[in-house]
Amino acid sequence: MEQVLRKEARKLLEEEKVDYIVGFAPGSLKFSTTPLITKEKEEIASLVINPFIVNNLAKFLTEVRGRVGIVAKGCDSRSIVSLIQDNQVVKEDVVIIGVPCSGLIDIVKVENLVGKDRDEIDDIALQGEKVVVTAGGKKRELPTKEVFFEHCLGCEFPTPQEYDTLIGEPVAALGDKELSRKKIKELQDMTPEQRWAFWKEQFRRCIRCYACRQACPACFCERCFVEESQPQWVSSVPQWQDNLIFQVIRNIHVAGRCTDCGECERVCPQNIPLRSLSKKMSDLVEEMFHYKAGIDRSAPALMSAYEHAEAEDLIR
Amino acid sequence: MEHKSEWEPRILGVLCKWCSYAGADLAGTSRKKYPANLRILKVPCSGRVDPLLILKCLRLGFDGVVVSGCHPGDCHYQTGNYRARRRIALTKKFLEYIGIPEERVKASWVSASEGLKFAQVVAEVAKDIEEVGPNKLFARDGD
Repeated sequence: MEQVLRKEARKLLEEEKVDYIVGFAPGSLKFSTTPLITKEKEEIASLVINPFIVNNLAKFLTEVRGRVGIVAKGCDSRSIVSLIQDNQVVKEDVVIIGVPCSGLIDIVKVENLVGKDRDEIDDIALQGEKVVVTAGGKKRELPTKEVFFEHCLGCEFPTPQEYDTLIGEPVAALGDKELSRKKIKELQDMTPEQRWAFWKEQFRRCIRCYACRQACPACFCERCFVEESQPQWVSSVPQWQDNLIFQVIRNIHVAGRCTDCGECERVCPQNIPLRSLSKKMSDLVEEMFHYKAGIDRSAPALMSAYEHAEAEDLIR
Repeated sequence: MEHKSEWEPRILGVLCKWCSYAGADLAGTSRKKYPANLRILKVPCSGRVDPLLILKCLRLGFDGVVVSGCHPGDCHYQTGNYRARRRIALTKKFLEYIGIPEERVKASWVSASEGLKFAQVVAEVAKDIEEVGPNKLFARDGD
């Protein structure tokens, strides 16, 4: 698969169809990858596809100037479509190299399950519904459900819906809706007071590093509302009240744009379960307005459209 | 007269200038009685209402926020209230999920001729908020 990808990427550069290739290269740590943005043909050889290509590269589309050939998993391609809907990206400037994704492995979960640091693990291989971990000459099989990211478990579109070339064969969706909404279900079963207390505790830990915002492809505002000073909507000092307001408003801003790529939660250094907010938001959007983010690039964005009769039950 | 320290809800009414604000005016000129717990903020259109404004007001200690605009189809700018409806409905549901009781964020359509409805809406909102009690959501607690 990697060979096909490299050939394709090289061809795009050689034929001058794109100015840049945006993809994944091996990371500095074991079992990690890092985004690669390049116009050099020599660097194409380092492009990789594996179950550790966690970043949502659509983020870079609003930053890289010029035509871009971009490696996109299912969720990434939806983010690209969403950016096109929002007029942030011009379709003609993007060549989507679609990569069907059968799920991404959370290395932290593997480390915890085998009780070893990533440096002590020799190999992690995805084989169907199992992940085979080799460490110290011993092999151990783990079910994918235990090591995949939660958002991958509920993924509906593992194969990009929008692409110019597709590398490899389409894969079936895991679509375990219940498992990927376990935390949301737990929260919904609580009383409002308990839920508020839960989020309050979570946001007490927030250090407002804005990693969630920086990693999110849907957060494309040139100036974020938290940086406004006249009026200053939220304090720049990390207090839980303002941290919570920041995250709630961020979620409202990305409503109808969030494709459940799970980047916000993955990058959070404080391990705040941010996906329990964003996924709930996508569920509400679907339930109330029958809208899914990044499916149809000719459709208007969620908040720029309306139906004559909707949500009237919520209004007196 | 009741004791001064007894809690009374403080409610923010965000009213569109074309319909609900005029509706509030009519309630006044027609001498309709409604609870005096409402502070009014006039906006050009309900479509202008940013969810951030709602949260900011709750953060500042308002016990509830009610957003009111023209009936669907009657917006002075044609579509402002339709956009407001999507945004506010979603905000309401999402806030409920994180634990803000839905009574604290309300929305209504009041036209310039509905002085009576305006008075009723305010009375209902005030009653609901009195039931949920003072807003201590964002209160400091040794943080």
